[in-house]
Amino acid sequence: MSARLTALHGNHACALASIAAGCRFFAGYPITPSSEIAEHMSHELPRIGGTFVQMEDELASIAAVVGASLGGLRAMTATSGPGFSLMQENIGYAAMTEVPCVIIDVMRGGPSTGMPTRPAQGDIMQARFGSHGDRPVIALAPASVQEIYTETIRAFDLAERLRTPVTVLYDQVIAQLLESVAVPPPEAVHVSERKWANGAGPAYQPYAAGEDGVPAMARPGDGHRAHTTGLTHSESGFPTQSPPVVDRMMRRLLGKIDVNQALIEKYETLMADDADVLIVAYGITARAARRAVTVLRAEGVKAGLFRPITLWPFPEAPLRRLAGPARAVLVPEMNAGQLVLEIQRLVGRDPPVHPLGRIDGEPIAPDEIVTAVKELAVHA
Amino acid sequence: MRPLPNDDFAPAPWPVTTGMNILVVGVGGQGVLMISKAIALMAQRRGFAVKQSEVHGMAKRGGIVFSHVRFAEEVWSPTIAKGEADMLVALEWAEALRWLDHLRPGRGVFIADTRQIVPPFACRSRKAGAASAYARETPAEIVGRHADGCALDATGIATALGDARAANTVLLGRLSVWLDYPVAEWHEVIDAIVPKGTREINRKAFDAGRAWTAPAPDEDDAAAPAVAAPMPDLHISVAIDPAWCKGCTICVKLCPERCLAMEGPVAVVATPAACTGCRVCEWLCPDFAVTVKNEGVPA
Amino acid sequence: MLDAAPSRSFDPKDYLRLQYMPHFMCPGCGHGIALHALLAAVHDCGIAKDDLAVVCGIGCSGRVGGYIDANTFHTTHGRPLAFATGLKLARPDLTVVVVTGDGDCLAIGGNHLIHAARRNLDLTCLMLNNEVYGMTGGQASPTTAATRFTSTTQSGAIEPTFDACALAAAAGASFVGREVTRQAPALKTLIARALRHPGFSFVEVMSDCTEIYGRKNDLGEAPEMILSQKADMRPDSHRDATDQPFRPHALPTGVFVERDLPEYGARLRAHAAAIRKEAGR
Ligand code: SF4
Ligand code: SF4
Repeated sequence: MSARLTALHGNHACALASIAAGCRFFAGYPITPSSEIAEHMSHELPRIGGTFVQMEDELASIAAVVGASLGGLRAMTATSGPGFSLMQENIGYAAMTEVPCVIIDVMRGGPSTGMPTRPAQGDIMQARFGSHGDRPVIALAPASVQEIYTETIRAFDLAERLRTPVTVLYDQVIAQLLESVAVPPPEAVHVSERKWANGAGPAYQPYAAGEDGVPAMARPGDGHRAHTTGLTHSESGFPTQSPPVVDRMMRRLLGKIDVNQALIEKYETLMADDADVLIVAYGITARAARRAVTVLRAEGVKAGLFRPITLWPFPEAPLRRLAGPARAVLVPEMNAGQLVLEIQRLVGRDPPVHPLGRIDGEPIAPDEIVTAVKELAVHA
Repeated sequence: MRPLPNDDFAPAPWPVTTGMNILVVGVGGQGVLMISKAIALMAQRRGFAVKQSEVHGMAKRGGIVFSHVRFAEEVWSPTIAKGEADMLVALEWAEALRWLDHLRPGRGVFIADTRQIVPPFACRSRKAGAASAYARETPAEIVGRHADGCALDATGIATALGDARAANTVLLGRLSVWLDYPVAEWHEVIDAIVPKGTREINRKAFDAGRAWTAPAPDEDDAAAPAVAAPMPDLHISVAIDPAWCKGCTICVKLCPERCLAMEGPVAVVATPAACTGCRVCEWLCPDFAVTVKNEGVPA
Repeated sequence: MLDAAPSRSFDPKDYLRLQYMPHFMCPGCGHGIALHALLAAVHDCGIAKDDLAVVCGIGCSGRVGGYIDANTFHTTHGRPLAFATGLKLARPDLTVVVVTGDGDCLAIGGNHLIHAARRNLDLTCLMLNNEVYGMTGGQASPTTAATRFTSTTQSGAIEPTFDACALAAAAGASFVGREVTRQAPALKTLIARALRHPGFSFVEVMSDCTEIYGRKNDLGEAPEMILSQKADMRPDSHRDATDQPFRPHALPTGVFVERDLPEYGARLRAHAAAIRKEAGR
């Protein structure tokens, strides 16, 4: 069976993709512009033996999602900036206890209530640093409805495989955009099975991991009677504050991302190899950037695009390789300059990295990028 | 005057033509009233005037129950004054002793079950099997002090027959030796007052009581009520794990028997013999340091 | 009953993670007594350790679960009921017990309590009420009695308190009860009833914080504190007793609510089944 073409809104595609990925539990709280995901899930899940529950707030939503995942289900929630803020503590809990779950954040601007119905890319740093302390972070940034579909599935795959929360970040424009999507046949959808502990042997250590850094999880009722805590814990799962043990455990937890970087990393380039000006753009902004590159190339300006699909961990090596020969880097984004900080960190001063932020609730148009690149091409 | 064990040729050992005062005593649930009813019915059949009075106000299980039965040509008072009872039938040992002064001096007949039902107030210690304030007199002592009578393990006899509840009928059978009317007539009386399904067992109990013979002297001691040694206490124990005890003193101060004491920073069992196995300490130790073993009390 | 097969008698050590004992609670802390009663109730109900999930929040009460040899989850502050909701919906086969405290359940987690009560999912929520935030050094909680001293009410508490049982009942909990640790066997019986109750059951356990609250308020040593529970306690059946006026602050204990309401999980599954039937799937 080959892929079936259908026209879907971004949020609808997200819901369908999560179900295709085996998501059987959704807990959420209404918030614009993500509510359609919950609505679709409430419709779909009961029909396939899944569970939808509308919780009393976002704190409870993510907690219920983690609880359901602890019980063994693939689970997800969806929200927007303010709700994402409320979820941060429990996302950190999921990271610490290594409980797979998927969080969809349909971004809006802020601070506070901001512009609920206008697009923005305001949660790039929240997705990275929103929860206190150091934690492994995976965030994906699809740029089309099709990509929402595939990246949602990939989010489940990564979450289950690496036992960690995965955030999917997109904005109001693609959330409510109707596009045609090639829906893959079920057999073409692959989501890794979570690593389960089998056998209730006394030797089982809930947080002892092999080379991939991912420990096998104890499913309640299987006889392991494990302890799960957000406190720093040893391999046994029980709290410890012993510095060497904490160091070992935390490095393994954070290292889980590094060890599996190749698996997680995903990006796309457009005429980036010989670019004088490298544009780094993600999400809806990358679509404008793509157009800008075509326009600029037609005008003889050697512009190129680097589009991270995995935002966190950022695809460092390829960016460094492509940015190195360029004369300037431009980072257009719908915020006051968030990802640009990471690009500046990675690239340094040479070539110079310039922000192009827009914070008025309007998407960045190709023209704006074209103008900015031209200026850089002249002055660089 | 020794009653004869079988009635084939037994002459009436008592002038039953002139009437009697019989006191039946026991505790609730034993069947005191059944005995007095049977006597009253029998007396009626013989043409006597009968008065039966009873107290069973506390007859919920365990309370004291007694019944006065008087029969004669003419009976005026319903109760038997002290020293005027011709017979005392007791279903419980302590009750037997309590009513002894009602027996006619030098002439009264004493019939008692040696069974003991120890009332709560006789317990000086909550420990199972502990010595109590219960009567210490032995049956031999008591029977010897009276003109005539016997103390028998009626409950044991009835239990052997298949129903401990028929102990009262065993005593009735014993009593029939002195109140010597034909056995067949007694059987009729019994049939008239016991529930239908229990007629068979009650007749057997009656016969067994009537046929009872005092055991040989060396066996006599076996019938002595077990007031002697308290039960060995192997099934109660209290232990404190010093590794888990945090010395909060809850167990020490809340043990009703003051069994426990502090020894430095931890609690220890000071007087293990006083422990009744009540588990207060075990339930209230916040640190699971106390373990009480008491097979008798559910955890 | 010599011939009846004797049921295995209760030994709390069968239900404890012995390698982590003795637990970390202070000497005399009522939470240990509550834990004992919980384990005894679990034993009474015949719940297998493998099928028992204990979800805790943060605070002294939050640490109780870690000592139970079951599937235990030490979650975030105030959220154990929300975690438990997800777990129970995902795994109706598990018996899910939430152990929480007065701060965890009524302050930061108050919203989750009322909604859990409203939903009536089959959870047993044990709120250990010691009227104080012990773990953080003895600050006032929503149940700190007026005039009591805490590290944030240095001249006596002035805020009104929550009656947690009334709150849970008003929010729709189908089983609500309260007991003091002093009456540990009665507490066990109450917890066992709550465990057997299908639906959301809320049990408030009046527990003593001896080292912090007790000291700060001069309530005596652990034995004095636990004994004073007697004076503060009033079994439900004695509510109208004639000595009522002499104990104006008497705390009612017992079962306050036990009602037969549709259990949320079962309802949700039946609803889904009806939808599937209609859709012909
Ligand atoms: S069981 Fe404990 S409280 Fe009860 S008498 Fe024995 S030592 Fe004392
Ligand atoms: S109650 Fe327990 S911890 Fe406290 S003194 Fe007694 S044995 Fe020790």
